[in-house]
Amino acid sequence: MTLANYIQAYNEAVFETDRPAALAVVNQALSDGFSPEDIVFELVIPAVESMMDRIEKDPDSNLAQHFMTAQIAADVTEKMLEKFSSPPQIIGKVVIGAASGDLHSLGKRIVSGCLKSLMVEVIDLGINVGAEQFVEAAVANDAQVIAVSAMMVHTATGENGSIKVRALLKERGLEGRIKLAVGGAPYRFDPELYRKVGADAWAPDGVTAAKVIVRLINEAKT
Amino acid sequence: MTPRQILHAALTGAAAPRIPVFCNLFDHGAKEMKLHPKAYFADGACVAEAQLRMQKRYGYDNVWCLHYVGKEAELLGCKEILFADDGVPNVADFVIKSWDDIASFEVPNDITQHPAWQSIADCLAVLRGEVGASHPICAYVTASTTLPAILMGMDKWMELFLLGPADLRDELLRKCADYVQQHIAALRAAGANVLVYSSPFGSPYFVNKKVIADIVMPWMRRDLALGGTDDLVYYCGMAPFNDVIEPVIEQLGIRSHYISPLADLAQAKRLINTRGLTCGVIDDIKMIHWSAGEVRAEVRRIVDIGKPGGHFLFGNGVMPMAVPEANIRAMLDAAFEFGQLP
Repeated sequence: MTLANYIQAYNEAVFETDRPAALAVVNQALSDGFSPEDIVFELVIPAVESMMDRIEKDPDSNLAQHFMTAQIAADVTEKMLEKFSSPPQIIGKVVIGAASGDLHSLGKRIVSGCLKSLMVEVIDLGINVGAEQFVEAAVANDAQVIAVSAMMVHTATGENGSIKVRALLKERGLEGRIKLAVGGAPYRFDPELYRKVGADAWAPDGVTAAKVIVRLINEAKT
Repeated sequence: MTPRQILHAALTGAAAPRIPVFCNLFDHGAKEMKLHPKAYFADGACVAEAQLRMQKRYGYDNVWCLHYVGKEAELLGCKEILFADDGVPNVADFVIKSWDDIASFEVPNDITQHPAWQSIADCLAVLRGEVGASHPICAYVTASTTLPAILMGMDKWMELFLLGPADLRDELLRKCADYVQQHIAALRAAGANVLVYSSPFGSPYFVNKKVIADIVMPWMRRDLALGGTDDLVYYCGMAPFNDVIEPVIEQLGIRSHYISPLADLAQAKRLINTRGLTCGVIDDIKMIHWSAGEVRAEVRRIVDIGKPGGHFLFGNGVMPMAVPEANIRAMLDAAFEFGQLP
């Protein structure tokens, strides 16, 4: 079986939200002689990237598929990392959390799972996170991106959310090195809302958000 | 004709002077009564008073007894709600903190005896007395397959639903379905006559159609096994659900459908046709930044799609507090103007 076949079989299983089948593909690849590094870099990462493209182009993809894409990729990556001969190089760092007043955690969990499998270090600040906390954590950890999840209109547009994060970045002269990404239900209903809250980018779902954040990391690093 | 008669005419296809126009103003009530949301929502008579005042001022057809979605979590043991001055209250204390808690989680034998029910009962008593004969009184019911999201958090529920042991998932769903049956009966007995049945897991935006058919649909049937479905409106938390309209009509018997602004309204109207009521819903998040003219144009677009052939209602989502009042007025003025029937 070629790697392309493995990727296809793995992604079909994920798309059908069938974790046992996805894990069986990984186990089969391992027993066929692929190393843990191969599994992550040649199977999981290309599979997640392929899934990102598929979900981005498929308006009918569903939340369960997004959840499973992240959950399975994060699980497999975590298991494989334990077996790596040396720690992998990370491509960047992101500080993530739910906006002030927002107690929803599913969105950032999906984003974080995908990012971890893509070798991005995720500093998860949890829920109901103040704007100052986002900025302080990004500075302290030398992160390239702050990602703010908001599932309700008032937490997406409120003065203590992304709008304040943007103001703090500007005030402290950090806009060049720290990018701001947002996501959550309100942005799906108004795709221009991200501009009004001062963000550099948004994504309609958690899986696509990981792709957007990787792009912002690369922009911030150049 | 009274608003209730207009709604009934739209559902059945009888003659009426205009389409029904619903407006959902939940969190605006606290501002109306000049109270902090926590104090406002604790007083059912006050919630009713705000609903009646706003209905009278704007002239739309319905009133609501919904306090906030987390009220259902309170009826099931939630001890803390995070209130906000500018938006929707959040559940801040999950009743089920780990899968181990599911075994000991119990639904009260009679939710109407729970202290959290009192404000609902008070609200409905006022609404029933004031406008029960003339206006639709709306109430909100969370489906059993979605209720766990407010009991344990959406990510933990998604994990159990998709990856956990089926017997544990079903044990929780059995308890939730028992609660839903009780909740529906209690709301009806207290005077609610339009029940918005909120079932996001019944939308292909959440899970695929096979999962809906195999898992969600049987639990929805159980939720709705008692008392009929004539007063129910199918709603998926603003998520699109055109692909399941057919089984929802055929298998659940729900005839009224609150269509997501993200869905193809024309397709939904074709699917439902004269079998029930298509509710065209404006994207009220965009209304925050739209001009009054843009609101008017969008209302006209929606009504132009839905009105031909009747069986149509115009409505909105949750109307964020940030929407300017001029836009609420523009929405309603346009709905009444373009919603006139020959």
